[in-house]
Amino acid sequence: MKVSKVMTAKEAVAKFIGDGMTVLVGGFFHAIAYDITHEIMRQKKKHLTICTPSFNEHADQMIGSGCVDRIVSSYVWMEVFGPLYSFRRAMEKGIPHKIEMEDYTNFSMMARLVAGALGIPYVPVHSLKGSDMMKYSAWMGDNKVKLMKDPFGSGVEHAVVPALNPDIGYIHAQRSDEEGNFQLWGITGDAPWSMRACKQVIVSVEEIVSREVIGRDPNRTVLPGYKVVAVVEAPYGSHPKNSQGYYNVDRDFIFKYIQESRTEEGWKKFMDEWVYGVADRTEYLKKYIDTFGMKKFMSLKAKDMSSGSVNYGF
Amino acid sequence: MADKYTDFTLQELMAVAAAREIQDGEKVIIGTGLPLIGAFLAQKTHAPNIVAIYESGAIDCKPIFTPFSVADPVLVPGAAMQGGLVEGLGVVHAGDLDVGFLGGAQIDKYGNLNAHVIGDYRNPKVRFAGSGGSNDIGAGCKRTIVMMLHQKQRFSEKVDFITTPGYLGGGKEREKMGFPGGGPSVVVSTMAILRFHPETKEMYLASYHPGLTVEDVKANTGWDLKVAPDVKETERPAPELIRILREELDPTGIFLKKK
Repeated sequence: MKVSKVMTAKEAVAKFIGDGMTVLVGGFFHAIAYDITHEIMRQKKKHLTICTPSFNEHADQMIGSGCVDRIVSSYVWMEVFGPLYSFRRAMEKGIPHKIEMEDYTNFSMMARLVAGALGIPYVPVHSLKGSDMMKYSAWMGDNKVKLMKDPFGSGVEHAVVPALNPDIGYIHAQRSDEEGNFQLWGITGDAPWSMRACKQVIVSVEEIVSREVIGRDPNRTVLPGYKVVAVVEAPYGSHPKNSQGYYNVDRDFIFKYIQESRTEEGWKKFMDEWVYGVADRTEYLKKYIDTFGMKKFMSLKAKDMSSGSVNYGF
Repeated sequence: MADKYTDFTLQELMAVAAAREIQDGEKVIIGTGLPLIGAFLAQKTHAPNIVAIYESGAIDCKPIFTPFSVADPVLVPGAAMQGGLVEGLGVVHAGDLDVGFLGGAQIDKYGNLNAHVIGDYRNPKVRFAGSGGSNDIGAGCKRTIVMMLHQKQRFSEKVDFITTPGYLGGGKEREKMGFPGGGPSVVVSTMAILRFHPETKEMYLASYHPGLTVEDVKANTGWDLKVAPDVKETERPAPELIRILREELDPTGIFLKKK
C-alpha cells in the first residue's frame, strides 16, 4: 500500500530536512515557500547550505536565525525595496555567525542546475569569464568554475560550471495531487530545472487537487511526482510574496520587514512576532488578519484573469 | 498647460536619456527602477515596437501598470511568452538581444562594473547584492546601457571587484574573450552622459547635465576623465515626455522621486 505524501509543514521539515544538508530553496520572487522556510527556522535546523539563483527576504530571515552556514547564489537583495540587513550583518560583521558564499550569476546557477537535472557533470557558459567571480571562491576552491577550451575547435575558452544536485529542494506552487505531480504557472523562475536537479522535493501548494485535474492539463506539471517526498497544503504559503492567480505581492509587509530588520533588535522583534510567535501558517494568517484587518487581507486576493482551456483531444 | 512640465528632476532627465538610447524594434532586457521607466518611455514614444524581456522569463510584456520588480505578477498576463530564468536569460546568453541595462556600486574607465563589495571581497566593508543577471546581460547583449550615481568613489580608477566585465583593460581585451555581446555603449550618470572611445575603449564625457560644467564632472570622477571635443549640455527633456513620465508611468512617484 502507498504511504500518503500529504503532511503538514512541521512533519515534512522534521522528516526530510536534516542539519548540514544542501537545500535548494525554490522560487524567483514568486513561488517561494515561506511556510516551509519559517518551519525550518522554528525547528532550528543548523549548518545548512542554501542554494538558488536569487534570494530575497526569506534567505535573510534564515541567515539571521542562524540556520545557514553557506550560500550558493548570485543575488541576495530585494530590488527596489532595498538591502537585506541580516545578510549584510553576517557577511560584514559575522552576526549571528560568519557565513560563506559562492558567488555565481543567475544564468550560471541555472546552468549548474540544468546539468544536475540532466545528469551531466558540467556545462559551459558565456557568463563569469573575465569577472572576479573566476578568481575568488570559498569552500569549493578550484571546483567552483574552470576555464575550458571548446573541444569542437572554435578556439573560444569558456567558463565551465559543475552540476549541482542538492540533497533536497522545496518550492510553493498553485496545486498538486497527493502524489506530488505539481503545477506551477506565472513566473516559474528556477523551476522546473532546479527541482529536477534535487534528490528529493517538498512542495507546498495553495490547493491539493485530484490526479484527474492534473491530467487535464499535463503540460503545466513541473516534474514527475515520484521525485516529491511531501505535499503540504498551505493557502497563502508564499505571503508576503505572491502566488499567481491566488494573491498579489504584499509590498507593505515587505517594506515593514526591511525597515524593522535594519537593526538586530528590530529583526529579532519581527521574527518573534511573525515566525517564532506562531505555530504554523494558519496562526500566521490569523495574526495577519488580527493585525492588519480583513479588508487589507482581502485586498491581496488576485483578480480573475483565467485563461481559456486548450483542447488535448486526439 | 505645458508649463508645469518644463521643469524636470534629475531622475526624469536620466530616464529620458536612457529612453533615447533605445531604437524602435530592438529586443531589450529590462531591470527595475530607472531603466524600467526609461524603456517604458521609449515604448510609449519613439520605439513602440521594442520587445521587452525580463530575466524572470516574461517575454514581450504589455503590463497594464509599471512593474515593481523583474518578477512582478503584472508582467505575466498579456506577455507573448512566460517561462523561467532559463528562458529569460537563455535568449540573452544566446546573443539574441540588442540592449541590456546595468548598474552597480562602482565603475572604472573601461566600464567594468562592481556589484559585489566595497573593500576586500573576503572581508567586505559593505556587501552588495551580487551579480544577479548583470554579468549574464553584460556578456550576452549586443550593447549595454549603464546607469550610475556619479560620485568620485563610484567612478573609480580601479573597481574593488569585477562583477560584470566592460572592456576589461581596454583596447581589444574584451574582443579576445569571445563574448556574444559587445559591451557598454553609454553610461547615463546623475551628472553626465559618457561614451567609450572606439579604439581605446576608454570612457569619455559626451555631455554634462543642465546646471553642471565639465569641471564638475571631472572633479567627481576618480581618474583623469577625457572630454569629447564637441562636449555639450545634455539635451533637456521635452515637456511631453515629462508629462508621460509623471502621469502615465510613475503617477505615485515611486521610481522618480519627487523633488
